[in-house]
Amino acid sequence: MGKLAQLGLDIAKLWGKYSASYFSGMKNTLILALIGTLIGCIIGFICGVLNTIPYSKSDHPVKRFILKLIRVIIRIYVEVFRGTPMVLQAVFLFYGLPYFTDNAMRFSSVWAAAIVVVSINTGAYMAESVRGGIISVDPGQTEGAMAIGMTHVQTMTSVILPQALRNIMPQIGNNFIINVKDTSVMFIIGFPDFFAAHRAAVGASYLYFPSATVEMAGYLTMTLIASFLLRWMERRMDGSSSYELVQVDQLTMTAGTYRHPDKGSPFDERSREYADRDLREQAEKEE
Amino acid sequence: MDELILQVNHLSKSFGSNLVLKDIDFSVSTGDVISIIGASGSGKSTLLRCINLLETPSSGEILYHGKNVLSRGTNAPEYRSHVGMVFQSFNLFNNMTVLENCMAGQIKVLKRGKEEARQHAMEYLERVGMAPFINAKPRQISGGQKQRVAIARAMAMDPEVLLFDEPTSALDPEMVGEVLAVMQRLAESGMTMLVVTHEMAFARDVSSRVVYMNDGVICEQGSPEEIFGNPQKPETIEFLSRFRK
Repeated sequence: MGKLAQLGLDIAKLWGKYSASYFSGMKNTLILALIGTLIGCIIGFICGVLNTIPYSKSDHPVKRFILKLIRVIIRIYVEVFRGTPMVLQAVFLFYGLPYFTDNAMRFSSVWAAAIVVVSINTGAYMAESVRGGIISVDPGQTEGAMAIGMTHVQTMTSVILPQALRNIMPQIGNNFIINVKDTSVMFIIGFPDFFAAHRAAVGASYLYFPSATVEMAGYLTMTLIASFLLRWMERRMDGSSSYELVQVDQLTMTAGTYRHPDKGSPFDERSREYADRDLREQAEKEE
Repeated sequence: MDELILQVNHLSKSFGSNLVLKDIDFSVSTGDVISIIGASGSGKSTLLRCINLLETPSSGEILYHGKNVLSRGTNAPEYRSHVGMVFQSFNLFNNMTVLENCMAGQIKVLKRGKEEARQHAMEYLERVGMAPFINAKPRQISGGQKQRVAIARAMAMDPEVLLFDEPTSALDPEMVGEVLAVMQRLAESGMTMLVVTHEMAFARDVSSRVVYMNDGVICEQGSPEEIFGNPQKPETIEFLSRFRK
């Protein structure tokens, strides 16, 4: 109990002194994760669409070569950025660029560098998710769109991608939450995120455990709110589970219904259509 | 009046070494209601899918108003917008409501204005009795209703000819009637239709010509009276005898 009270006191002390720095860290973490995920999704969608352009043997050889080349390039991009740690990618880009160009090219701010690294990283994961999302849409949807004369681009933008987006929403959410946590490695290039706030606070106060407790609670709060918002967005995308009838449908009859509201009236299409069948059924019953 | 729309000459299609269509000759004029009957695997659906270029034929030609659509440089999407298709599995767009399904093609392909597309869509949705359901999503309506919407969607594009690929085969028996009734009304209104079907009563009563396919070739064709009343080929007689009870 005494330890817990001590922890409470230490946290209060830290909070009193560094709350502004914790809050600005949280804000930066969220902004970086959000922008990185958004740009990453756009990269992923572009890669996914380029990856799924169909080609057949009858196509022009140049077109086939270009499409194959695109697939190879995307494959290399995905494998390299999915297969190396983000913390190293950050170091590699942030320090590698000035090294190779003798300081002619360098990131003007850690923000730009951090956004680029997080976006490219997310894009590599999303490329595969989007490809999966597109493949998972029923091929009949493509045929339906083609049959009314839509081009490949129209089919993609108005039929396939909206459905693919819904299918990969959980994946996008996953990536966003991973980004909220994993942007903590950006302290390596001096990015002022939530974890950097922890490092600054303990550097001055030496209260390692209490600050870590604040961090744990802070990250968990951010990811829980994010999960909640993502669920809400998914529900909104699914739309209402009910719909409003505009008027009464004259053609269908629910199974087992035999009293038709329009029976005998000039609008009684059903009796006209099923007159023979009804008579036959009656005859069978009487036998 | 009886203008030639489609002419299929020496059409063949093979999947690998499997020859599915063998040297098919066949034509469609305005106002024709042609039923294509035959056992499963006889190539009926493949013929329909070839006509709509969903499958690429191996050889032969398909003339649309005298122009070969299989030649290089054909604008396939533009051609498909004149040749509507209704599928066995409906293929309604799951991300759109019933009304949006019927408007999407008009707006994107025919470049119609939103209000015009809406009115046009409503006209056909009313004809198939689906006007009350315009706000429903495809997953919320029954199979028969979906197929009626699919017919309205195809009709809203004002096609010259409408292809039906076994439109009632995926439906529960009590829903077959409502779809066939819609198709019969369409046929009576003068729509040019090409129907692959297992509904012999529909083929007999509604169509102007019946084509019997067997093993990738057109075995016999003629008026419904000829095919159902006095079939000539032994294969046709054998096939039809399975439906007489």
